[in-house]
Amino acid sequence: MKAPASTSRPSLGSLLLKKQQRPFLGIDKQRAIRLFFASNSSVAIIVLVLIMLFLLREGMDFLPTYRHELETYRRAGLEFCDIINRPLAEHQALCSKLRRAASASLNTLTHTARTRRDAAYELMREVEEETRLQRAILSDALAQIPAASPEKLTRLRQEMRAATTLAAARLQTPAALTPEEGRRLQRELTLLNPEVPELPPLLAALSADYIRVDREAHATFKPLVDAVEAFEAAPDALHTLLDAMKKHARETKAHVTELHGSGKEPSHSKPVDFDLSIVPLTSGITELTAKVEEYTLLAQKTADTMPAAAGTPQAVALLAEMRARLPDHLAAMRQAAASLPAWSHSKPVSYLEVAIAFFLGDAWITNSSWQDFFGFVPLLTGSVLIALIAVLIATPFSVIAAIYTNQFASEREQEFIKPVIEFIQAIPSVVLGFIGISLLGDAIKGVSEWGWLQWIPSFPIQERLNMFNAACLLALMAVPTMYSLAEDALNNVPRSYLDASDALGATKLQTVFRVIVPAAKSGIAAAVLLGMGRVIGETMVVLLVAGNRIAIPDFSAGPGVVFQPAHTLTGIIAQELGEVSRGSAHWQALFMVGIVLFLISLLVNWCARAFVRRFELAKS
Amino acid sequence: MNQPATANPFAGMKSRDALRETIVRWLLRLGTFFIVAVTVAILAHIMVKGAPVAFRSTWPFVNVQFLTELPSTLHVIEDVKGGRIEVEVNRADQVKAQLGDAFHSETTISYSGGGILGPIVGTALLVTVSISIALFLGVACAIYLSEYARHGNPLIEWVRLAILNLAGVPSVVFGLFGLGAFVLTAPVFVDVPADRSVFAIPLGFTTLSFEGWDTCVLSGGFTLAFVILPVIITASEQCLQAVPQGFRETSMALGATRWQTIRYSVLPFATPGILTSSILGIARAAGETAPIMFTAALAFKDKLPWQKDLPPLPADASIFAHWEQSVSRFLGIFTESVQALPYHIYTLAAKIPQNEYSERAQYGSVFVFLVLVASLAASSVLLRKRLRAKYRW
Repeated sequence: MKAPASTSRPSLGSLLLKKQQRPFLGIDKQRAIRLFFASNSSVAIIVLVLIMLFLLREGMDFLPTYRHELETYRRAGLEFCDIINRPLAEHQALCSKLRRAASASLNTLTHTARTRRDAAYELMREVEEETRLQRAILSDALAQIPAASPEKLTRLRQEMRAATTLAAARLQTPAALTPEEGRRLQRELTLLNPEVPELPPLLAALSADYIRVDREAHATFKPLVDAVEAFEAAPDALHTLLDAMKKHARETKAHVTELHGSGKEPSHSKPVDFDLSIVPLTSGITELTAKVEEYTLLAQKTADTMPAAAGTPQAVALLAEMRARLPDHLAAMRQAAASLPAWSHSKPVSYLEVAIAFFLGDAWITNSSWQDFFGFVPLLTGSVLIALIAVLIATPFSVIAAIYTNQFASEREQEFIKPVIEFIQAIPSVVLGFIGISLLGDAIKGVSEWGWLQWIPSFPIQERLNMFNAACLLALMAVPTMYSLAEDALNNVPRSYLDASDALGATKLQTVFRVIVPAAKSGIAAAVLLGMGRVIGETMVVLLVAGNRIAIPDFSAGPGVVFQPAHTLTGIIAQELGEVSRGSAHWQALFMVGIVLFLISLLVNWCARAFVRRFELAKS
Repeated sequence: MNQPATANPFAGMKSRDALRETIVRWLLRLGTFFIVAVTVAILAHIMVKGAPVAFRSTWPFVNVQFLTELPSTLHVIEDVKGGRIEVEVNRADQVKAQLGDAFHSETTISYSGGGILGPIVGTALLVTVSISIALFLGVACAIYLSEYARHGNPLIEWVRLAILNLAGVPSVVFGLFGLGAFVLTAPVFVDVPADRSVFAIPLGFTTLSFEGWDTCVLSGGFTLAFVILPVIITASEQCLQAVPQGFRETSMALGATRWQTIRYSVLPFATPGILTSSILGIARAAGETAPIMFTAALAFKDKLPWQKDLPPLPADASIFAHWEQSVSRFLGIFTESVQALPYHIYTLAAKIPQNEYSERAQYGSVFVFLVLVASLAASSVLLRKRLRAKYRW
C-alpha cells in the first residue's frame, strides 16, 4: 500500500497553522464548503420535484383540452351517430364468424381440388421465378419497336427454352399431385414462354376442376351461403341512413375546428349554431329507430332460417356461438335506439366524465378522421399483463439462483455465476429488443408449430411479435435486479438462525427451506416488487417486440392471450411523441401517461420499502 | 455459508434424505445455470452474426469502412446476369451508366450502407457530457451524505428516499422530463426571445430567455446525467464509506478542518474506486435509448458534429477571428443533435424492412455497441476487484 498522502504533502502543516480566514456575509470558508455539498446533496430531491413539475406543466391541460374535444364531439352530433354505430360493430364480428363457418364448410368439399390447383400454380410460379431474367429480356425484345432482329429473337427463345428446361427439371412433385401428373406438368412447363398466353393444359384442367367443385359445394351448402349473404346485407338500409348522418356530423365538426382553430379561444367570426346544425340528426330519430327495428327483425329472421348443420364440427360450433350472441346484440341495438330520444347535444361534459373517458376508456384512437379517443385501459392492460408474465417467469429463476449461489454453490461456481448475472444488467435494452425481433420471435413461432405442443391454447401462434416474446426478454432484464436483492435478503438472515437450526439436527435442505428462506421472505417479496417496477418502466424492449397493437387483448382466448400483440404505456410515449405537435390533446395525453408511469414507479418503490421495513422490524 | 452436508455429526443422514438433497441441489443448479446459458447464448449469437461484419480475415483485420464512415443509404444494383453490386448513393448513377444495357434493377436500403462512425461519435459525446455532470453532482452529494451528514438529519432521510425513487423512475419518463425541461424550457442567451419562451430577462446587451436548447447533445447529456445520477451517488458513497474511520480521526486529531480531512485523508483513497464505479455509469448512459429519443438523437445525419458550415474567413482575418471561429466550432458540437448508437440500432430494427443487407448493418452495429458497453462494464468489474485487493485496510 502507498504511504498515506497526508504525510507526503509538506504544505499541510502550513495550511493547518494558517490563520482563519475572515467570514464573508457571516459565512466562513468551512461553512461555505459545507453549504456547497449540502446544496448538491439535495439535487436528487430537486430533480424529482422538477420531473413532476415539468410533466404536470405539459400534461395538466389535458383534461380541459380533452373536455373541449369531447364537447365538440357531442355538440356536432358525432356522439349521436356513435350510439348506434358502436353496437353495430358487433355485426361485423358475427358476420366474420358466419363467413368462417361457411368457408370451413365449403372447404370440406373443395379442399382437394384447390390444393391440387394451388400446387400446380406454385410449380409454375417457381419456374417463372427461376427464369425471371430471361423472361424479362425476351418480353422486352418482343415489345421493342422497331422489332428486334429475328436472329436475336431466336437466340433469346433458345435461352428461354434452356432456362425453363433446367428449372422444370429441378422441380419436385408435391404430395397433392400424382407422380404421373407431376411428370406431365414438368413437360408442359418446359414450354412456358412469355409469348404463349394460355396456361399449360394440365393447369387449366385443374383450374376448371376446382371451379366445378366449388360450384357444387356452393349448391350443397346453399342455405348456409344464402344465410351469410342475407345477414351481411341486413343492416344495409341502416348503414345508408347512418352514413348520411355521419357525413353531416363530420361536416359540422370540420366547420367548428375551422372556426376555432386548434386552440380553445373562441374566434371572432360567427360561432356555429349547434341547435340548428343538430336538427337533421334529431329529426331523423324516428326513421333511425325504424331502421334499427327493421335490421333486428331481418337479422333475427336470417338466424331463424339458418341451418344448424354445417360441414365441420368447428363450423357448427361457430354457428352455435353466433346464434348465442345474436340476441344480446339485437337487444343492445334496440336499447341504443331507445336511448336516442333522451340524448341531448347541449348536455355539458363534466370533468368527471372526461376523467372516466381517459382512465377507463377502452379505445386509444389517434389521427382518426372521425374522432380521437384517448382511453388508457388498452395500454395499461398491455403493460400490466406483460409485466405479470415477465415477473412470473423471472421470479422462480432469480430466487432459485439466489438460493443456490447463497447456500449451495462452491466458491468457484459463485465466482462464475455472479459476474455473468450482473453482466445481464449491462446489456442495453435496445439490444435485447433487437434479439427479440431477429431471433426469439422466429424461435417462439417455430416452436409453436411443433406437432406435440398443439395442446397449448392458441398454438400455432399468429404473430411473431407478441406479449410473451417481450415478457421473456423483460424477464431476463429483471433477473439481475431480483437476483441481487434476493441474495442480499438471504445474506441478511442472522447467522444465529442457521446455527439454531443446525443445533436442532436439521438437514441442509430443512435449514434452507424452513428457516432461511422464510426468514428472508419479505426481502424476496421486495426484490420481486422492484423487479416488477423495472419491468413496467422498460421501454425499448416492449416498443420493439410487443407488437404494438392498440387494443385490449382478447381474454376470451384463455391463457393463450399471452401470444397476442399489445401496446404499452412506455411504448406509446416513445412511439408517438416524436410525431405530435406541442400542446395538442395528443401531446398532453402522452404526458398524462408519463405522469401515471411516474406515479406507478413511486408507488412500487414505496411498497417495496414497506416490505423491507416490516422485514427489519420482524428481525429485531 | 458452505456448511458441510452433515453439520451435525450426531445425526446420521438417511439415504432417502441424502438422495432428496442431491436432487434438489441439482434442480437449483439447473435453474441457475439456465440463466447463465441463456445469457451466454445471446452473446454468442451476436458474436457469431456480428463479428464477420466488424472484422476481416485479411489485414488490417477490422472492417475499416464500417468503423470510419458515416451511415448512408445502400443501393443494390442488379445486372441482367443476376450479379449484385452494392454501392453508396453517390456512385449509384455512375455504376448504372457503366452497366448500360446490362442494368436490370435497383433497390435502396436506408441507413444500411457505409459505417457507423456518426452514431459512435454521438454516443461518445453524449456520454462525455452526461458523465461530467453526473460525476460532479454525484460525488458532491456522496461527500455530503458520507462525511458531513449526521445521523437522524431529516434532510438526509429525504435525500436517500429521493435517490431510491429516482433510481426507479422509468427511462422514458426521464425522456419526457428532458423534453419539457431542457429542450423546451432551459435558459439561453439570445438577442430576440422566441415566441415559445416561458419568460425572458433582459440583460441590456442580451436576453436570458427560457426557451430551451432544442434537441442537442447538451439536452441529451443533461437528461442522461440524471438517469445515471443514482448509480453514481450510491457507488461513490460506498467508496467513501470504505475508507477507514481511523484516517479521518487521525487527521482531525492533528487539528485539520473537516474539509482538509476530506481533501487530504479521504478523497485520495476513495477516488480510484469512484472512478471505477463511474465506468458502470458510463455503460448505463451509453445503453439508454428512451431518454435521448426526444432530446438528442436523430435517425440520420450526413455530417459529423464538428463538420459545420461556417462562413469562410477573409484571407487577412486576424488571429482573433480564427480563434473565435474555432471556439464557436467547438461549442457548436454541443448544440447539434447527433446520431447515437442505441437509437441507430432502434432505427435499423424497427423502421426499415428486414433483408440480408439490413441484417448485416444491424448485427454489425449491435456487435460493436455490445463490445463497447461490455468492455466498459467488464473493465469496471475487473478494476474494482484489483482495487479491493490493493486497498485492504
